[in-house]
Amino acid sequence: MAYKINQEITPFQIEVDKYRPCYYAGASGDFNPIHIDNDFAKAVGLGGVILHGLCTMAYVYRAVMNNKDPEKLKKIKARFKGMVRPNDKLTVSGKVTAIENNLATIDLLATNQKNEHIITNACAAIEI
Amino acid sequence: MPVDTKFIGREYKPITYVVGQEKIKEYALAIGDLNPLYIDPGFAKKSKYGTVIAPPMFVVVFTRDAMFSLFEDNEIKIDFARLVHGEQEFNFHKIVKANDSIKTTSKIKNIYQKNNNDFIKFETKSYNQDSELVVEGFWTFIVRGK
Repeated sequence: MAYKINQEITPFQIEVDKYRPCYYAGASGDFNPIHIDNDFAKAVGLGGVILHGLCTMAYVYRAVMNNKDPEKLKKIKARFKGMVRPNDKLTVSGKVTAIENNLATIDLLATNQKNEHIITNACAAIEI
Repeated sequence: MPVDTKFIGREYKPITYVVGQEKIKEYALAIGDLNPLYIDPGFAKKSKYGTVIAPPMFVVVFTRDAMFSLFEDNEIKIDFARLVHGEQEFNFHKIVKANDSIKTTSKIKNIYQKNNNDFIKFETKSYNQDSELVVEGFWTFIVRGK
């Protein structure tokens, strides 16, 4: 597809199901108990289990790359700003901010259902 | 106690990871990405790649042990309960395919303090069996101050 400056991507929405941190722990090998043990997560002051930041980053990836050739993705970056909890509803939005050297840069933001910022300072560079 | 800056420049033993077709599928399902290039061997075989490929973010799977080399470094002694993943950047150079053997080198690029928190900048470089660079990772970890 052709990218244009200031063009917005179709917002990507996902509801984080209750067991997602367990699935992601198994798939990624990150079994830090803050992600899978509610008692432990409470004891260290998190209030309950949180989803892996890198899983949310994978949702940001999905937002920009859905059904595109994965080879086109050249860069992705993210700042982990807020915590994601089971049953949260996330929205990833983004806008094309630069097109140069055959690359489109899309600035991205992930928010939750309370409009709190989850991932900020994020961008992806996609070959055009 | 702050993280000692004398560890800047420390490199860890390279990690080798052989990418399995079913592991790719497991990861793709965990992030809910049903792209047939990742989960359907028949489809992937007929694609330009000729085989199942890994989603770009699968990098976290084959660099996992490099990251844990840092976390489990007995000399640095990172306080795991105060550890937060601050920022992450990946630069992708080459698609990773099922059965690729990926070797990841890693290095502590910087350690500094800001607002009573310790920042650790960590870098990984992953190469395939043909010694081609497939992806670079720039990881920022924060050890929250007390």
